[in-house]
Amino acid sequence: MDEKKAALVQRLETEAAELMRQIRAENDIEKKKKIIVKRDSVQRKLTAVRNNRRISRETRRDLVAYSFIAPNFIGFAVFTLVPIVFAFVLAFMNWDGSNAITFVGLENFKRMPQDTFFLAAFKNTILYVLGTVPLTMIASLALAIVLNQKIRARGFFRTVAFFPYVASLAAITAVWSMIFHPSKGPVNYILYSVFKVPQDQLPKWFSGSLVLFTLILFSVWKYMGYYMVIYLAGLQGISAELYEAGSLDGANTWQKFRYITWPQLRSTTFFVVVMLTINCFKVYDIAVMLAGGGDGKLSTSATVLVYYIYQNAFNYWDLGYSSAIAMVLFILVLIVTLIQFRYEKKLEA
Amino acid sequence: MKKKLISVMLSTAMLATVLAGCGGNDTAQAPAAEAPAAEAPAAEAPAAEEPAAEAPAAEEAAAGEDITLKWAIWDKDITPYWQAIKDGYEASHPGVTIEMTDLGATDYMTVLATELSGSGSDFDVVTIKDVPGYATLVSKNTLEPLDSYIADAGIDLSVYGGVDKQVTVNGSLYELPFRNDFWVVFYNKDIFDAAGVDYPTNDMTFEQYDELARKVADTTFGSQIYGTHYHTWRSAVQLFGVLDGKHTVMDGNYDFFKPYYEMVLKQEDDSICRNYADLSAEGLHYSAAFSGGDVAMLNMGSWYISTLIASLQSGEYDSSLCGNWGIVKYPHAEGVEAGSTLGTITGLAVTSVSDQKDAAFDFVEWVSGPDGAAVMASTGNFPALMNDEISEIIAGLEGFPTDGASREALSVSNLYLEVPYAEKVSEVNDILDTYHKSIMNREVSIDDGIASMNEEVGKILGQ
Repeated sequence: MDEKKAALVQRLETEAAELMRQIRAENDIEKKKKIIVKRDSVQRKLTAVRNNRRISRETRRDLVAYSFIAPNFIGFAVFTLVPIVFAFVLAFMNWDGSNAITFVGLENFKRMPQDTFFLAAFKNTILYVLGTVPLTMIASLALAIVLNQKIRARGFFRTVAFFPYVASLAAITAVWSMIFHPSKGPVNYILYSVFKVPQDQLPKWFSGSLVLFTLILFSVWKYMGYYMVIYLAGLQGISAELYEAGSLDGANTWQKFRYITWPQLRSTTFFVVVMLTINCFKVYDIAVMLAGGGDGKLSTSATVLVYYIYQNAFNYWDLGYSSAIAMVLFILVLIVTLIQFRYEKKLEA
Repeated sequence: MKKKLISVMLSTAMLATVLAGCGGNDTAQAPAAEAPAAEAPAAEAPAAEEPAAEAPAAEEAAAGEDITLKWAIWDKDITPYWQAIKDGYEASHPGVTIEMTDLGATDYMTVLATELSGSGSDFDVVTIKDVPGYATLVSKNTLEPLDSYIADAGIDLSVYGGVDKQVTVNGSLYELPFRNDFWVVFYNKDIFDAAGVDYPTNDMTFEQYDELARKVADTTFGSQIYGTHYHTWRSAVQLFGVLDGKHTVMDGNYDFFKPYYEMVLKQEDDSICRNYADLSAEGLHYSAAFSGGDVAMLNMGSWYISTLIASLQSGEYDSSLCGNWGIVKYPHAEGVEAGSTLGTITGLAVTSVSDQKDAAFDFVEWVSGPDGAAVMASTGNFPALMNDEISEIIAGLEGFPTDGASREALSVSNLYLEVPYAEKVSEVNDILDTYHKSIMNREVSIDDGIASMNEEVGKILGQ
């Protein structure tokens, strides 16, 4: 045992010495650095062997760090990473979850343009995103600016604005169903009695072309409180001196907003828009709860991509097609996010 | 040094916990999977080899071997018959234990399909809640074809009145029905009395039914009485069309729905029934509608009989509003005999992974046979095996209407399943649901809605 150790020490010492010589001889600074790193590791090994430790201090340090990351990472790998990779593969397969998987190439993707329900879901999802993202952003920014002023009961109103975000979705959709009830709801009652809309022309908020509008309205109301908080944080990070300087130069309120607040909030806005876009593409629960009626099934006027993915996966057990649609959704979100990142970078430059 | 040791130990402990968490599925299944495995040799090795062919499991059990069958069900606490069936079977089959696993009623078939996917399942017997789910399980090869068992046991399928043929897949049957609900018209006698209108009868054409609904309705604002009520399910409206026996929901051409959509939408327009958009927005349950005392007639499945009786007895429903009720047979189209109606079956199936299929089938046979039927009837539910004796038990239940017409309404001449088996039945089902919604919400005209059904179902069937 000792002989072996002595031999190893001998070998490592020679190696280290050789590397040392190389370092002295090398003139290229980059190459020199590389060799230094190499020599350091040999040196570490040497110390480890001399001190009778099987793993060097550095490896140990790394292992400890990894062991702390492991709990989270293993969960991520098992429940997220592997399924995602699997879904990529499944998009080109045909599988019902039990029988053998068969390769079908691009067949699943070719089905989409002919699929009425996919097209409806695709269109609705895009319209929903186009409606919800800018409206929520504007509403939350406006709320944040108003609630950043030193007004009375500011804390109370901030809570009020934040409340819809915290409230249970099931409870508030039930309330909305009552408020927008086509014949007994207060909204239609006001339209009828104040605005004299004839009874048979009262809007049906949860069906036809209006249902998407109701969904967007609901989402804006529910999520603006959350993004308001983010904007509030952004607003509080703006130095008061900027506004002071603006005032001295005679800037009015709009100019202060346009030339101080808005540019200063750029990174906050970027974050808000990216998060909003991603979240909006994932819409499912709101649509099912608000527009699903009694059985939670969505008609073509309200169906969205995630709903259709679920239907295909767990009602029809067409896991390949369902994965292919998920891929489309993934690429859609990816493209939009990449565009946003690029735009942000351009502004920064 | 010590600190480091502690940190390493801590992280190992965390790792171990997480690993245990991740492996939860395996660890949870391991003992359960071992249980039948441990029994399998006992059940099969010495005795089972030869008797397996002929002798039903009951005899095996009588020979002193313990068998545990794992059975998938839903809503154990609020459904009276699961426990009654288990008790009844165990009492007559010593040595057999039925172990029930409650998968919940919402998404039951989806959960079951997921459970049976892959190799982790250890169910022997599973309850089949609906036909689309059944079709899924069959296509996933998770159910055992029962034909040879049925032949061996000499079961006469004619007692099921032909519904077995509607769930036969390529000549094979994978489930035996034990519960069978059929649609009838419930009516509130007090409302008819107050309006001075004759009660509905067991032989009504749709024209007569529509006329009656209009006669008994009161459209005065504030004291509205609805002549009839349609729940938001598509079965409640469009399936009037399949009662003539010439059409089915798997036809691919749904023009025959048209007169019924016209009738119902016209009734909505004239405030003879509540409108669909309202019902869907508020999610009104049919039981709340009928028990409110302002609905004269309601077309609904026979499962509502036991609910109605129980809820009136417990005082949950106000008996001054709906206590005086009766049932009659479904209306029928001109020229078709009365007594045709829609039905929904609940069945039992044996899983293909079960390692005690004979014992499992014996249970299925018992539940769907006369013994199980008696248990079902005694809990106020309709067994699939209907005969005069069973009708008597149900009509004799306390709280069942005493008039002759209600009793007579229990006999069915033709039963058409709401959803008969077909390939792609889930997809077709969803398409019909979707456009039913669109038509009833008046997003599209009846003609356009039906045209869309024809087109979309055509695509599915053409695949």
